[in-house]
Amino acid sequence: MSGDLVLARRDRVLDAMASAGIDVLVLGRQDNAGYACGMRRLWTAGTRPFGAGCIVVVSTQRVHALSSWEAGIESPMTFDDLYPLTWNPRIMAASMAGVDGLAGAGRIGVDELTPSFRRAAAGFAPEAEIVAADDLMVEVRVHKMPGEVEAISRACAAAWAGVDAALAAPTSADPAGAAIKAMAALGVTVPSSGVKVERRGQELCIDVGVICDLYEGGVGGCFADDRRVGTPALAEACVVGASHADLATAATGDWLVRGLGMGFERPVIGPGVGTGERLEAGMVLSVTDGHRRDVVHVTADGPAVLSQRP
Amino acid sequence: MSGDGAPVDEIAPPAPDPGRMGSERLNRLRHQMRAQGVDGAVLMHGPHVTYATGHVPEAVDAGHANHRRAVAIVSASDGPARLHAHDPSGVEAGPPLWPELDDGAARVGEAIADVLGDVTGRRVAVDGMTGAMARAGVLDGAGLVGASRVLVPARVVKTEDELACIDQSQRHTERAMEAAQAACVPGSSRAEVAGAFLAALRDGDPESGLSHRNGTAAASAAYQNGIDPIFQPMPTRRDGGARTATGHVAFPTGVDNPVYAEGDLVWVDAGVGYHGYMSDFGRTWVVGRAPTAAEQSLFDRWMAVLDASLAVVRPGATLGDVGRAARSVELHDTPWLPHFYLAHGVGLESAEMPMIGTDLGPAFDDAYELEPGMVLVFEPVTWTDGVGGYRAEEIVAVTDDGWRLLGGAHHYEPFRQ
Repeated sequence: MSGDLVLARRDRVLDAMASAGIDVLVLGRQDNAGYACGMRRLWTAGTRPFGAGCIVVVSTQRVHALSSWEAGIESPMTFDDLYPLTWNPRIMAASMAGVDGLAGAGRIGVDELTPSFRRAAAGFAPEAEIVAADDLMVEVRVHKMPGEVEAISRACAAAWAGVDAALAAPTSADPAGAAIKAMAALGVTVPSSGVKVERRGQELCIDVGVICDLYEGGVGGCFADDRRVGTPALAEACVVGASHADLATAATGDWLVRGLGMGFERPVIGPGVGTGERLEAGMVLSVTDGHRRDVVHVTADGPAVLSQRP
Repeated sequence: MSGDGAPVDEIAPPAPDPGRMGSERLNRLRHQMRAQGVDGAVLMHGPHVTYATGHVPEAVDAGHANHRRAVAIVSASDGPARLHAHDPSGVEAGPPLWPELDDGAARVGEAIADVLGDVTGRRVAVDGMTGAMARAGVLDGAGLVGASRVLVPARVVKTEDELACIDQSQRHTERAMEAAQAACVPGSSRAEVAGAFLAALRDGDPESGLSHRNGTAAASAAYQNGIDPIFQPMPTRRDGGARTATGHVAFPTGVDNPVYAEGDLVWVDAGVGYHGYMSDFGRTWVVGRAPTAAEQSLFDRWMAVLDASLAVVRPGATLGDVGRAARSVELHDTPWLPHFYLAHGVGLESAEMPMIGTDLGPAFDDAYELEPGMVLVFEPVTWTDGVGGYRAEEIVAVTDDGWRLLGGAHHYEPFRQ
């Protein structure tokens, strides 16, 4: 990954913190931590209990991350910005107390609230007000920079390698297994939503969601004779200013339009959710209509499909 | 391995009874809630939801899991646990909730009120609260306690069905590892070996095989991969790899895609869920050749550490007793990674209590007694600087008078037992 992109993301986070009057951000969500720190970590499935995975400090302009080693860290972070893995809450609190700028913080933003963090913070930052800052990270992440759009496009290309392998698999073979192996040959083994394959008569319906270098890519559809069936109408409706009603009208099946970047992001628009959202330039969206799914970049010039077949 | 473990290969593994497992888990959770004066629980962390309701969330990336998270609401008094889920995996569920979103948080509050009534002044266990829930005032006025206070003691002793799940998951993981080990040759990459493993996990999976043949959705595979599987070629010197804060090697880093060379010592670590219960496979492989005498000696020492540890595992023994037994055969070096442990529990999460030899310290270990139904995954490491290290994992359940092995007693090839 480009160090410039990591720096640009960090600067966005620091600027947003300064605007919101937040002195320190403590990020537990893996995607938020990845955005702010650029750190690559071992992937595990599912939700995680909140823990201080990454700390961003306005007064020192530094980012810190939970790790006992330098493998996976990206510039500008160095080994000296790490605090080690521990099972012991007292050792963790001491590590936190040692982060420059944390002890004197007036407002600490967190991306999830837990009783245990409030209790711990009363020790290492006794004066600090603890506030929810999940919305700050959502707003920072929602508009993608060009480097992010390129990374998402690369991840979409990897997803297509999986789709193509599943389509090419002999009928006696497991098409999902073929997809998994083809993507692994490109070095891609981390799922976002994973590989889903369903035979419907003569059609093979496939949805692949993967993560490459922290960014998600995906594509889905039912294929007959190697061609994807269905209409791209919902993707084409993803224009600046489009409302929930506009998207609902364009959809032809079960549908969901949701942000895509380092995972599942704002906006989330679908049946019964996101009725107040309007699409904005710079958003990147996963657009699902029935079995068909595309990744769309909303631009002033209209929707740009990032999940074009390579 | 010596000890009182039966020859497990000859015994048909017991199958879990999911219905019985669910009701026994809910009873244990309620028992803890009542004992600690907790009136209700609002659970959003996947393993907690599974424990309370039986629903197993899809094994997807955390960002997806957070947005499409299931919510379980449990009253300490009576009634079924309430589940709200996007993809309810066969368990009865209310409509999906969106606790991450500002326009979804109010509905979370309504669901909580529906199950728990007015929470003002009552003690409610939570495992997290989204910013949206906080902004919407969900659970305002309640006394919040961390859900781990009730869930950790409820979960630490497993039922027979929970043990059967771990056993099945471990056996399935072991079968898929044969394909991975065959793929781990000079010139292959970490991701290729991982791909061979992940594809093999689907082979022999009754659900994914069925879906492939019959055309039903394949998302409901019985076995769900839980971590990006680790096949990490290790340095032969402690200071030969990434810089660490521990004075020992970095493992598992989970990054990069190394290509193997003959003679690499590859540390393997993987975990796969069955009904949500995780396997934990660990072995050391040698790429492209037989182990040297020095490498075989690492393995022999590792086995001695495991045998010494297991010799003291029984109800009433403390974690400290087990740790001292392990150290007694490796006099010059702590035989495990300093940032980890000699052993840890496993269940709905890959690393649970009890943990032996962590930085919680000797007083913690000495105060913690083993009980029947606890699970220990032993993962000693033996190391000789310049030769490298041997690391593998074995899972045992504490029985009334000792321990028994979970999984299929997988081989240690290419090392000689």
